[in-house]
Amino acid sequence: MNKPENRVDKIVSDLLRGRRLKLRGGDADEKAAITAAARLIAARQGPQLMNPAFRKGLEQALESAPNEPWLTRRAALVAGFGLAAGAVTGGLLGRVMEPAATAAVRGSAGGGPIDPIQGRWVDVAAVSDLVDGQGMRVTAGSVGAFVFRRGESVTAVSSICSHLPCELWWNGGQGLLDCPCHPASFTPAGKSTSTTYPLPALNTVRVRVTSAGRVEVLGTD
Amino acid sequence: MNAGQPPGERQSAPDEGGEVLQLPIAPRATDIALHELEIVYAFIYARVGNRPDAEDLTQQVALKAIPRLREGAPASAIRGYLFATARSVLGGFWSTRLGLSEAELHEDLALAVTPTAPPSQERADTVQRILAELSDNYRRVLELRFLHGYSLKEVAAEMHSTVGAVKVMQLRALRAAAKVKME
Repeated sequence: MNKPENRVDKIVSDLLRGRRLKLRGGDADEKAAITAAARLIAARQGPQLMNPAFRKGLEQALESAPNEPWLTRRAALVAGFGLAAGAVTGGLLGRVMEPAATAAVRGSAGGGPIDPIQGRWVDVAAVSDLVDGQGMRVTAGSVGAFVFRRGESVTAVSSICSHLPCELWWNGGQGLLDCPCHPASFTPAGKSTSTTYPLPALNTVRVRVTSAGRVEVLGTD
Repeated sequence: MNAGQPPGERQSAPDEGGEVLQLPIAPRATDIALHELEIVYAFIYARVGNRPDAEDLTQQVALKAIPRLREGAPASAIRGYLFATARSVLGGFWSTRLGLSEAELHEDLALAVTPTAPPSQERADTVQRILAELSDNYRRVLELRFLHGYSLKEVAAEMHSTVGAVKVMQLRALRAAAKVKME
């Protein structure tokens, strides 16, 4: 089932049945074929209008949206993974998560380390998995981080932008962490690259290397 | 709301007496945005190929962008902001699911294109334009699978081939289709 033709056919079959795109990391090698399949299936179906029930639900959701629908950064720091699109379900999620998140994080001001209360060290990778100078996205429970190896040194920073609760991505070509929500980038050390409007530094994430050569990040259960 | 008429273009009712004028009601930014979201939805759907993901992403765009709209902003500005948000949301969707940077996906997703009008028949011709650029075998396998909805087994029977060979051909045909400029 690992052959690319099998994976792509599974994705095509799901799309032909109207199902969601269920992708995994290894599918990146076939990104062109997968995006082409999605676009072909969409084009075959012609122009699409919103389903009336969805549209009505959307209108109602917007009418009842709170005044501050944005998920706070602090909540995002521990909510971590899965909030990539930024404040996606922010209205509800933000309100539900904030009290717990506030209690669960210490010292999350710009640049400071994330110290989850009752945190635990989570095995995220082998040192040999880390490519020198390249960021690797990892999760330690609800803490999302980018881990870097430079020679013998391993460091980690939060995967959440210091400005908005947006999931950063590793731009390997530039060697920077880019924010998808606005034109902002950070170095692997977490420093903002902008000289005009520098943002606060990213929170650091505690990381250690075991004698067995495993990388562990301080996260949550 | 009537999806075919922008809320900002509501007209006064003709009045035969010519004395009573109904002033147009200034549309709220939210109403304009809801109208524009039809185009955003079509834009997103065209890039994910399925309704559940398209609805989720459209909702993300709405919840993210609409509360930040400035009252009194023109429809063109609202559309521009919605599409900027839609690009960000789509880029995040694909990059998260594939583990790639958005820069690596930008070309595959054709995110640079911003529609200026509701989708038209032109998009329905896109498939034919793509298929026309492919070799006979690649075109045939994609026609049968994507246009006629054949199963792999049916495609194999139709093409006097095996399921395994058709799977490989489908993958290669999709790779070739990805190289065809779609817009």
